[in-house]
Amino acid sequence: MNWKRLYQRWRHPRRDEDELAEEVQTFYDTVKDRRVAEGLAPEEAHRRTQAAYGQPAYTIEEVRNARAEAFVMTAFRDLRYSFRLLVKNPGFAAVAVLSLALGIGANTAIYSFMESILLRSLPVEDPESLVVFNWQSRMPQEADKKFVHVVHKIEGRFWPGDKGVIATGIFPYGAFEMLSEENPYFSTMFGYFSGRSRNLVVRGEARSASAEYVSGGYFAGLAVRPVAGRLIEAADDRVGAAPVAVISFVTSQQRFGGAPQAVGQEVLVDNVAFTVVGVAPPEFFGVDPEENPDIYLPLRTNLLLDKADTKGMYSDDNFYWLEVMGRLRPGVSMAEAQAGLSPRFRQWVAATAMTDGERAKLPELTLNPGAAGLGTLRRQYSKPLFVLLAMVGLILAITCANIANLLLARGAARRREMAVRLSLGAGRFRVVRQLLTESVMLALLGGALGVAFAVWGMRWLTVLFASGRENFTLRAELNWKVLAATALLSVICGVVFGLIPALQTTRQELTSALKNGLGGGARHGMQKVLVVGQIAASFLILVAAGLFVQTLDKLHSMQLGYARENILLFSLDARQSGHEGAAIGTFYANLQKRFEGIPGVNSASLAQSSIVSAGHAGATYRGEILAGTVPVTGASVMVAGPRYLETMQIPVLTGREVDDRDQASSSAVAVISERFARTYFPNESPVGRSIRFVGENRDLEIVGVSANLQHGGLKSESPMVVFVAASQMPLERVTYALRTTGDPLTYVHSVQEIVREADSRIPITNVVTQAAEIDRTISREITFAKLCTGFAVLALLIACVGLYGTMAYGVEREVREIGVRMALGAQRSAVVWMVLRRALVLAAIGLAISIPASLVAFRIVKSLLFETQPNDPVTLAVAGMVLVGAALIAGYVPARRASRIDPLVALRYE
Amino acid sequence: MAKAADLLQGTLDLLILRTVELRALHGVGIADRIEQVTQGVFVVGPGSLFPALHRLADKGWIEGEWGELESGRRAKFYAITPAGRKHLTEEKRKWNRVSFAVNQVLAEEA
Repeated sequence: MNWKRLYQRWRHPRRDEDELAEEVQTFYDTVKDRRVAEGLAPEEAHRRTQAAYGQPAYTIEEVRNARAEAFVMTAFRDLRYSFRLLVKNPGFAAVAVLSLALGIGANTAIYSFMESILLRSLPVEDPESLVVFNWQSRMPQEADKKFVHVVHKIEGRFWPGDKGVIATGIFPYGAFEMLSEENPYFSTMFGYFSGRSRNLVVRGEARSASAEYVSGGYFAGLAVRPVAGRLIEAADDRVGAAPVAVISFVTSQQRFGGAPQAVGQEVLVDNVAFTVVGVAPPEFFGVDPEENPDIYLPLRTNLLLDKADTKGMYSDDNFYWLEVMGRLRPGVSMAEAQAGLSPRFRQWVAATAMTDGERAKLPELTLNPGAAGLGTLRRQYSKPLFVLLAMVGLILAITCANIANLLLARGAARRREMAVRLSLGAGRFRVVRQLLTESVMLALLGGALGVAFAVWGMRWLTVLFASGRENFTLRAELNWKVLAATALLSVICGVVFGLIPALQTTRQELTSALKNGLGGGARHGMQKVLVVGQIAASFLILVAAGLFVQTLDKLHSMQLGYARENILLFSLDARQSGHEGAAIGTFYANLQKRFEGIPGVNSASLAQSSIVSAGHAGATYRGEILAGTVPVTGASVMVAGPRYLETMQIPVLTGREVDDRDQASSSAVAVISERFARTYFPNESPVGRSIRFVGENRDLEIVGVSANLQHGGLKSESPMVVFVAASQMPLERVTYALRTTGDPLTYVHSVQEIVREADSRIPITNVVTQAAEIDRTISREITFAKLCTGFAVLALLIACVGLYGTMAYGVEREVREIGVRMALGAQRSAVVWMVLRRALVLAAIGLAISIPASLVAFRIVKSLLFETQPNDPVTLAVAGMVLVGAALIAGYVPARRASRIDPLVALRYE
Repeated sequence: MAKAADLLQGTLDLLILRTVELRALHGVGIADRIEQVTQGVFVVGPGSLFPALHRLADKGWIEGEWGELESGRRAKFYAITPAGRKHLTEEKRKWNRVSFAVNQVLAEEA
């Protein structure tokens, strides 16, 4: 390519124009001269030359079209022309760009979340070669609900796999050692497990920090480089090694004032001294985007920190707790590695099975790609996000249909222009291209504005998703991938909504269009098809919104059995600051007294956690219970301080609740819930009887019966509850509950003062109102209900605009016909009904398509619903009615206009 | 007219390159020469000649230089560039192969 030539032309367009004209003119003149020389008169020579070769201007145009930059220049010209057209129709442009911006913005925002949760790779070297170790096996429960499995003890998470299978990523230490042995598949292997929340004291200041235990090979295996100091190495992960820690970049900034300053510092982790040896890079968040640890500790330091809890962790081959990742050797595929290591694991795990029952369902090793890190967030959010993406996709489709409709209507207005251009010999392709340029430009403008909406939407979504959760680590961002996707989406939209009108507008019988510029039945038909599609899509979104709103409503109107409002919750852990044994109980009891003394606090007590999270949080008794000689199934133990039931406003039905009489030294007591009493003491009063905690070898006297309450998450079936006295249980972290007068959060300051006075080393965590704590457990449902309602309103609005446009256009086309009817005596009401009927027919066709579609489509969201069926007839009926109502409103305005047509004016038209 | 030029675009390029291979020629000169050499089979009008010339110049295969005609008019004289010569050699070989093959087929039918 001769770039210099192109550049010259671009630099001096005028000179190029002149030269080209001269060059061509010379040709024509020379030929003419030759004809003159042959004896023709100059005029005749001129005429003949033109007749043979056409105008010089034509040749010049041909040269321009043949040039290398012609494509770009034409596009440029088209753009300029389109832009001028848009400026001439600011109303149309504003509606189109704005609605597109909403659609594209919503898609971009949701997609950016998908990208950050589902698609983004770990910020480490060569993430593609990382592999996560999982296993799955048949359900451990036998038919008689007895737990039979080679897993005897766990510390970590399980999740349901496909069809009656459980899956998990935790392994016994012995399995990790066996897998780590030199093998041809993995170059390195490393393990880690959550160190949960710790009390991190830096320079005398205590704050809660999330910790991660990592094996010696962790950082080397991930190929992470420190920003200061060094990272944890194999030598640090040994019994007796000096306790060292690596902190996250953010922690170094917040707690030490910079990465270099942190290195070498002494810190206290739960009152055990550690030396900070290094700082992880800023982009590193561990292997699970949800965890995002503040501090990394060598695996074996858990022996120092968790003491008794670590019993058997390194020796018991039936104790599953360690998560494992590995890095594939170059050229080895994951399938090869799985095929190679599975038999080894099977052999190893078979040797740990003790009974035939255990041998019947041994874990099977499965390897998964580790590039994106662990799938906690992914498992939790992938389906919701896909559902949301489907919804915003539908909204965008509705928007596109709308703009296609507007363009069709406008195309009608431009029929003459098109006809003239086509009849003057412009190729159809050329005209379609011009029209497409217009629509793509609209879409790109919409996309650009959409990015602005997306930024705003992402902030909003982050708040919705986090819903008050502390250290919510998910940060969606607009990176180039998201922006590229948005740009692509915009162009696709432009082509999609531009192509149909462009083809329609240019496919016409020239003569008829030139004559009157009206008619075009096919185009109107296409408009109707688009509107029907819009209505069908809107209905789907309406139904989705209805389902999720109903789910939320069901959750909110649930009988909790305890107070939701005016309760302040907060947690603290005295053990992490060096309190030990019985002193912890005394410390907590004294604090409770002082909280009760805060003016405005009606009652204060404590438990091992909030009630809504008690199903999985806090230290409590989780072993076997006997009522007399009968084993109790389906009961949970709640550790409660004095007057807990009063604070939570749980009625005591008979007897009394735990109070100050119940001390460590007095006899052990329990309060059982009504259902417990009915189930295990059916024909007698349980007060005075006793239950037995088999694991602790302890009998507890039942002193009272409480009303039933929803213990644990709202969506799970509540177990029966046994309240035991906090003073008679070993305590760790506790959650205080204060019943207050007025807004609970106004008491936070007093609480902090009291705790600081009692022991300044203890951080207060999870300060939250009861209502917010409960909402946190149903944040997804709240998010969905809010988002879907918003989407539904948006979709309905856009679809109504489309319906209105189509109806209005229809009325305009038939002004004369309506005028004739009215001149012949048709009533105004009959005309109104005629137009409304058309709108209703369109709505009915849309519904007829989408009701069956919704019955199929919403089966997949069943797992996201609560006590609501995907085919809920009420929701379907309400959504249908809303839609028909909207259709009537959208149709009424054009209908009224039709009824106001003056027959005289209409007939004089043209 | 546009259609015919499209059909013959490759051929026309080849003819032009071959025509200006030996010496620089201006528009009319090139058209005359092609007509003359092909004994009137190809008559090239300005509507297809100039687009082809500019396309070839954009590709860097020929280069134009202003000069003067006997009539005193200014005209652009096009000459082949080294890159153009290389391309021509390539195209010639291709053309020979194709025409040989086509002739073989036609000869067989006859």
